[in-house]
Amino acid sequence: MTMMYKIGIFDEEDKFISSIRMLQEQKVTIFDVFTPYPIHEVFHLLKRKSKLPTAAYFFGLFGIIATLGFLYYTSVIDWPIVYGGKPFNSFPSFIVVTIIITIFTVTILSLAAFSLRSKLFPGRENTIFDIRATDNRFVIVVNMDPNDKSLSENAEKVMQDNGAIEIVNKELENVKA
Amino acid sequence: MYNRRIRGPLIEGNKTLGQITADVISPMEASPGLWWFIAFGISSMAALFGLYAIYITVTKGIGTWGVNNSVGWGWEIINFVWWIGIGHAGTAFSIFLLILRQRWRTSINRAAEAMTVLAVMAAAILPALHMGRVWLAFYIFPYPNTRGPLWVNFNSPLFWDFVAITAYLLISASFWYLGTLPDFATIRDKTTSKIKKAVYGFFSLGWTGSSRQWIRFESLSFVLGGIAAVLVVSVHSIVSTDFAVGVEPGWHTTLFPPYFVVGAIFSGFAMVMTLMVIIRKIYRFTDYVTDNHMDAIARILIFISLIMGTAYATEVFVAWYSGNEYEMFTFFHNRITGDYTIQFWGMVICNAIIPQLFWFRKIRRNWVGLLIISLVINLGMWFERFNIVITSLSKDFLPSNWVAYKPTIIDIGVYVGTIGIFACGVLLFIRYIPMMAISELKSVNRIGEKIED
Repeated sequence: MTMMYKIGIFDEEDKFISSIRMLQEQKVTIFDVFTPYPIHEVFHLLKRKSKLPTAAYFFGLFGIIATLGFLYYTSVIDWPIVYGGKPFNSFPSFIVVTIIITIFTVTILSLAAFSLRSKLFPGRENTIFDIRATDNRFVIVVNMDPNDKSLSENAEKVMQDNGAIEIVNKELENVKA
Repeated sequence: MYNRRIRGPLIEGNKTLGQITADVISPMEASPGLWWFIAFGISSMAALFGLYAIYITVTKGIGTWGVNNSVGWGWEIINFVWWIGIGHAGTAFSIFLLILRQRWRTSINRAAEAMTVLAVMAAAILPALHMGRVWLAFYIFPYPNTRGPLWVNFNSPLFWDFVAITAYLLISASFWYLGTLPDFATIRDKTTSKIKKAVYGFFSLGWTGSSRQWIRFESLSFVLGGIAAVLVVSVHSIVSTDFAVGVEPGWHTTLFPPYFVVGAIFSGFAMVMTLMVIIRKIYRFTDYVTDNHMDAIARILIFISLIMGTAYATEVFVAWYSGNEYEMFTFFHNRITGDYTIQFWGMVICNAIIPQLFWFRKIRRNWVGLLIISLVINLGMWFERFNIVITSLSKDFLPSNWVAYKPTIIDIGVYVGTIGIFACGVLLFIRYIPMMAISELKSVNRIGEKIED
């Protein structure tokens, strides 16, 4: 199924942000915005949040339990050996390995979660609305409702008033956010 | 808030966003110049010499090295600790400064992280060879095996070291790669060459710069930064426990972990400074890596140098204060005086005294001064490791065990080889990967401007 998108291209961060603000006041649904660098105001306006820190906490918990469990299994259950008179479960000397493996687990699992959620993996080709968004342009993509012409005209006017250097309509297939 | 009027802009020359992209990727577009090929040729020769030395070590054995029964750890361990120390800068730079929100890191972190990955790779070669039968190195992995299953000794710092270095290499490499994603996408969208578009497109993993990707990217950077900060402290602490759990005089001290960590960051920052001075000179990146950036690194180096001086004094003081005759002998008759005075005083002068020249503003802002002092620091850090490894082992408790240590040509070859591999890696890095994080530079381009109005 094809969808129509209105794409506004800006060359300045301020104009771009005030345009997002006004579009939201006019109740225009913004599909997504594309910027050359992260802008915190945009996250705030579009209510973008990431659950990654919470996920990372649980990855860490998993890492700690799995590592300590493994160390306990090998040193106490499977093949107990006395090293220098220490008890089999010599917990203090397990701490170092546990910390490192936990950090490692969190890193690998967080990267995997990031890759899955953001749909970023080798050879992936995500839709690029405007090729200059990774260089020096700020891009707003707005969904166009075929039944409500006034809304999309409104969007065009807002972006024009805020100093968009270019506004184009594009018909694209199967775009996923 | 960052105040530009007091501290100066982070990027000079009122750049536009497009200019930043063009400036940073221009060295990758143009032919690298004759100097690059000459440097790469020399580095490859050094790497080949190293490969020859490694070949001899593997086929003939550790007997080709200068190590003997008393001095069981020679140049390979000195150089291993030296490289691992240098490898701490990238993480210290990008992660400590990320968490402390020091925005000036943006011009330097990419190069520092690349250096970290390469230095840790160079370091990892040495303990692997030191195992003797390197083809059995996989025995150190705790995997279910047909030998019992017999597990490794999880109480041993040598095993901790293996875990720490492997994890450190993989984590710093992933952190570094993560940071390059937006920049690879920039090159993919900017280049006209079809091959480059395909290659960088593949490695950019389909990055578009959408707000959804950016928020996840930012939170992932903070998560990885937050936990990897622990690594900076833990990896070199573990290296120090390799020594500190031993009973050798001069090793058996609780000062070692902080002393090693600070020393590691010291040598790492010095190596970053060496590289940045050269890179900004060759590629004229002075608008991005400004005099203020170099000044900031130099100030950190003064501070760390004072800590190093204090640590050296503490060691000597404790040896005297403990009244232990072996400690007294090691510090007063085998380091301050005796056979190894050059290394001891070299260490003190290079690490604790010469960096004090950075108190002078003129030297902090003179590239020749920065280059020379940063090289001197790395020489001093090498002396420090020599002091620790060799002096303690060569004259320990029993005079009948006393042996002098001299490296062989094979030891030297392995060391030169690691330098060659590192240099080749750095040269390939500046040729094929953006030397500065383009997207991060853009985000600090106009920082602090509004306060000025």
